[in-house]
Amino acid sequence: MNIRKLVWVEFMYHKSQLISGLLAIMLGVAVIVGIRSISVVSEKAVAINLDNLGANILVLPQGSNVDNYYSADIDAPTFPEEYVERVATSSLAGVDNMSPKLTRRIIISGQKTVLTGILPKSELASKPIWQNSGLFGSSLKASCGPSPVNESLGYKDEKLQRKSIDSLAADDCMMGYSVAKRLNVKENGTIVIEGKTFKVAKVISETGTIDDDRIFAHLHTVQHLLGIKEQISAIEIMGCCNAISDGLLGKLRNILPNTKITTIGQIVATQIQTNKMMNKVSLIFLIIIIFVGGISIGNFMWANVNERRKEIGMLRMIGFSRAVIYKMLLAKAFILGVLGGIVGYIIGTAAGMWLGPEIAGLSVAPVPGLIGISLLISIGVSLIGALIPAYLAGRIEPFSNMQEG
Amino acid sequence: MILKVNNLHKKYQHADGVINALDQINFEVKEGAFVTITGSSGSGKTTLLLSLAGLIKATSGEIYFRDFRIDKANDKELSDFRKNHVGFVMQTFALIPYLTAIENVMLPLAVSRLPDSQKYEAAMDLLKLVGLENRKNHLPKELSAGQQQRVAIARALINKPSLILADEPTGNLDPVLSKEILDLLSDINKKQGITVLMVTHSPMAARYGTIQIQLQDGKINSIT
Repeated sequence: MNIRKLVWVEFMYHKSQLISGLLAIMLGVAVIVGIRSISVVSEKAVAINLDNLGANILVLPQGSNVDNYYSADIDAPTFPEEYVERVATSSLAGVDNMSPKLTRRIIISGQKTVLTGILPKSELASKPIWQNSGLFGSSLKASCGPSPVNESLGYKDEKLQRKSIDSLAADDCMMGYSVAKRLNVKENGTIVIEGKTFKVAKVISETGTIDDDRIFAHLHTVQHLLGIKEQISAIEIMGCCNAISDGLLGKLRNILPNTKITTIGQIVATQIQTNKMMNKVSLIFLIIIIFVGGISIGNFMWANVNERRKEIGMLRMIGFSRAVIYKMLLAKAFILGVLGGIVGYIIGTAAGMWLGPEIAGLSVAPVPGLIGISLLISIGVSLIGALIPAYLAGRIEPFSNMQEG
Repeated sequence: MILKVNNLHKKYQHADGVINALDQINFEVKEGAFVTITGSSGSGKTTLLLSLAGLIKATSGEIYFRDFRIDKANDKELSDFRKNHVGFVMQTFALIPYLTAIENVMLPLAVSRLPDSQKYEAAMDLLKLVGLENRKNHLPKELSAGQQQRVAIARALINKPSLILADEPTGNLDPVLSKEILDLLSDINKKQGITVLMVTHSPMAARYGTIQIQLQDGKINSIT
């Protein structure tokens, strides 16, 4: 028998009361972890998207937004595929390449995934690596020629990808890393999409972007399968920076009515703004958890102290000093904090993994670094909440209420 | 002398005026004595016991445990005094409901640096002494009142005290169990030489005392 054991045995004896004590702090930590898990992946995705996305101009249907582009909403608006031809025949200076896409969310084997129709050659051509991206809001720079610096930033298996895209036939598809893993599909295997059997021409290496959760097939095949003939949901355009500054966007708007034309810089800014908002929400929750969680733990500890007045009085009587009583109560708060942190982290991570694909179109993986933050917050809040009850417990006089039956 | 009380006063402020719970209390107790303190309800006997344990502060007067001045000690010194020298036996047993019999007996040693094995052995020896070695893993609610009081007595002995302070130890027990407990306390007093100071309202229990102090209205009525 020692103080640690005494605290633990008492803790387990009152375990049913723990749920209410833990609830606020656990849920608070879970919300913070959930939001952070998604935003961490989202921040990485922005950076990697910038590295990997060849295009720097995005043409979307009027009334659409960047979220539609990323989340592939089922009812996201479309515009005519003929717009690609308009741009191609316009001979606009500064348009180096284009990649039309039609993207929709579909269900395969009961699992939600995203199907993207691409035109292979144009998709290939719009994956150059000349674009230099300024992350997190700084201005984008681009030149019309390949940058030796950025050539090193290309995909490891870039050549393989080019080959695959080059040879993407009407019955072929390319699988993103995550979706292939989820659906247990291997390269050269087959998969049935919307009733049609496709050969898996390639499983793309993990990129950390939304592409990991996508299946790519030929645009016209996808249009046919989805019953959206001659319509597309976006055109990615590789435009020369000098031309963009010379009014390329305005010229594109003139020939592409009812579209929304934006630059990657704007997209990134929007994404970063979303991430910043999520971080702010995390901060708000942190403040809430400190107040609500602290009060909740304090309330629980105070109720526990009151219930145990007789017991604490007896401990004081047989020689437990005030300092020992403080330590016992704070040790209990510490255990509560550890439990709240761990359970909160698990719930938050699970929620992030579940909701990430739903709300952000991103595969969210556990972020191990958040376990430390969860514990720090949870233990800190628990100890702060327990300070006053522990102090008051130490003030309980020996023999308190001992005469009562 | 193990205990010496000089001119002890304890006053309580009350809406009806000042109440003299203890008034001019003077007595000495030799090592190994069995002292009983009797008196009617409100005579001050429990107040005296609590004052001797340093559990309440006297208004004035001196209390010595050997050379240690109880009435002047601070909280830490009093905690150490109780931890090292005093065993308590209470009317309500004061056992921790979620600890087993042996864990309750070991409880006062929770703050000591002794190895757990030594604590366990010491507690087992005491459970044997009180005849409860077979009930070591029972919770208080699984024990009878008499058994609970015997666990409390074992707990009072675990720190090898020089003094046992007992407050109505048979107050919740029937006459047969009362005699068992009083015999046990008397045995401990005689065989181990531990001084026992017991507050009781029972004339039968009072007769166990080698010194009997009778209180009335906070004053010593007689010492025999």
